[in-house]
Formats: sequence, C-alpha cells, structure tokens
Amino acid sequence: MKTQEDMKKELHAWIVKNNAKIKAEELCNDTDIIRERIINSLQIIDLLLFVERLSGTSVEVEQLKPGAFKNIDTIYQNFLERQGDEQCNK
Amino acid sequence: MNALKQTANRLFSISQNNYLNPHTALVWPETLERSQWFMAPELISLNGSPVYEELSEKQKKELSFWEAVNFFSLNIHGEKALVEGLAQRLYRRELADVAEYLHSFLDEENKHMVYFGGFCQRYAGKIYRDRKLKIEREYAYGEEEFLFFAKTMIFEELADYYNLRMGNNSEIELTARRINLIHHLEEARHLAFGREIVRYLFNKFAAHWTGEVLQNVRHYLLSYLEATWKEYYNPDVYRDAGLDEVFDLVDQAWHSSASKKHRQQASFRCVDFFVKEGILEKNLVV
Repeated sequence: MKTQEDMKKELHAWIVKNNAKIKAEELCNDTDIIRERIINSLQIIDLLLFVERLSGTSVEVEQLKPGAFKNIDTIYQNFLERQGDEQCNK
Repeated sequence: MNALKQTANRLFSISQNNYLNPHTALVWPETLERSQWFMAPELISLNGSPVYEELSEKQKKELSFWEAVNFFSLNIHGEKALVEGLAQRLYRRELADVAEYLHSFLDEENKHMVYFGGFCQRYAGKIYRDRKLKIEREYAYGEEEFLFFAKTMIFEELADYYNLRMGNNSEIELTARRINLIHHLEEARHLAFGREIVRYLFNKFAAHWTGEVLQNVRHYLLSYLEATWKEYYNPDVYRDAGLDEVFDLVDQAWHSSASKKHRQQASFRCVDFFVKEGILEKNLVV
C-alpha cells in the first residue's frame, strides 16, 4: 500500500534519475519541472508512463489540465491523489 | 536552394502522375479474419523478449493485430503534427519556391490518415492515444524550422522501415499490407524531399548557431529518436492483446538485446544520413 509520501518520493526519485542536471536535494515537491527545464517535452512521454504505472489508470493527454505536470505536488493531485486516499483509507 | 527546388519539382511531377483517391484506393472488408499476421512477426515489439516465446501462435497473431493498430495510430499522430506544421509553412518566403510540392506533401499526408484511421476505426474501434505533450520554449535562429523537418525525417524513416518490410509481404493480411505498400510508395517521395530540405536548412542555419545551440540540437534529435521508438512499446497494446503486467512487458521488450539490435538496424539509414551531413557527431545506439 502506497501512501501520498511514498508516491511523491517515487516521483522525486524518477525525476532525479532521468535528469543528470539536478541533484536530489535541489528538487522539492513544488519545483517547477517544466519552467526549470528539468523535464522536456520528450521526457514527458516516459513520465506519463511512470505516472500510469503508479496510478494504475490511463492518462489522457488531450484532457490534461494546464499545469498538471508542473511539479511533484500537481502530478500527485491530478493523477495519484484519489488512489493515495483510497490506499490510506484501506 | 537549387537542389531543393529541383528535387521538389521532380517529386511534384511524380505525385501528379500517381494521384490516388484515398476513398477508392482500398477495398475495406466488412470484418478481418484475426487468425492472420497484421504485423510481421520480426517487427512485433515483444519479439525477442521471454514472454513472446511463451505465447501460442494464435496469441502472437492477436498481438500482431494490436501492434498494427498502434503502428497506424503512431502514424496518424505523427502526420497530424506534420500536416499542421506544413500548413503553417506554406508560402513562407524561404519555402515559396517549393510551395507547389508542399501542397502535394500535405495532400498525401492527409490521405495517409484516411487509410490509417480507416483501418483503426473499422477494425479496432479506436486509435491509440498520443502521449506527446507540447511544451513551448524559445528557439535559436532557424532552430525550430530545422527541427521540424529533421523530426519529420526521423518519424518517417522509422515508419518506412516497417512499411518496406510489410508492403509486399504475402504473410501480412491484405488490407494491412496494402496500407503499408501505399504508404511506402508515397513516403519514398517525402523522404527524398526530407533529405534535401534537412540538408538545406542545416547548411543555412547551423553556421549562425553557437556551439551550445548545436549541441542542444544534437541532443534533442537523439532524444527525439529515442522517444519515437518508445511509442512502439505501448502498454495499451499488450493489455488489448490479453497480456498481464503490461509495464513490466514494456521494460522487458525495450531492454532485450533483440529489440536493441532491431532499433539500431531500423534507425541506421536515418542516423547515417545525419552523421554524413555533420548534423550528428557519431552513430549512437538507441
């Protein structure tokens, strides 16, 4: 069972692993990974797959809200929160 | 510009003489017998990974159907972006000399989507979703123009590798085979134009770029090649084919030595061109 903290940690680890420019201690949950160019448009495809794997649901790019991939917090809120809550409540 | 203009004129003439009506070029059967190959077995993304060897022939053929739907869906998404970009470039001053051919290019890309979409909607009832997300950024002088055509070339070269191996392959179900063949015949012209325009734009703009911009362009092209390949390994395909643990299958397939070799072979023609033109420094394996 994964908690909110577990999932945010996994997202954090994935972003650091996939970007040589940023150190783990420099990436916070509210760091803007798009504006800071930590993740580019091509890496988003991989990040989407990772989020789908974590959430167990499909992400529809055409229906994404603006800023959904802005930072770890927004990714969690948009794609993982319901699952995290359900897991916590189980 | 002369070489580009000559190539465009020659290709325009061939396009005119080989004009196809997309609504009559194919006969669409009511249903397709699924016990056939829709994708050549050696092109199936899971081929070479342990799970593939455990599948029955019936399961492999079912998987081949969904792989074909994914391949056609990727082409639709790529061609949608291409049509959008080509339309924006029609009659731009620097491309005015090749505008006539750009009209044919646009027309043919639109037709291809009729074939791909027709197959996916009729027989799968869907087109696989696009996972690409556009992020706006600033570009150096000419960088966006060059990258548009260079990315088009990568996407089309990879697709053509598949078309070429299935368009005349009697093992492949007839409708899927015909789509691959028609696409290959028209893409051959687009690829010839693509090479000329990529060469022309690189020679025109790269001299204005700093070393950092050039390195970023090179890095981006290699990342684009890798990202394009990753879309050939679609967990939705594996799910539709009735397989489990689909994300693990993506990892298995992507990292298998057989698939690395396949990607290297299929990318060779395109990467070799970039290296010979000085666009990429060395041939890197995806």
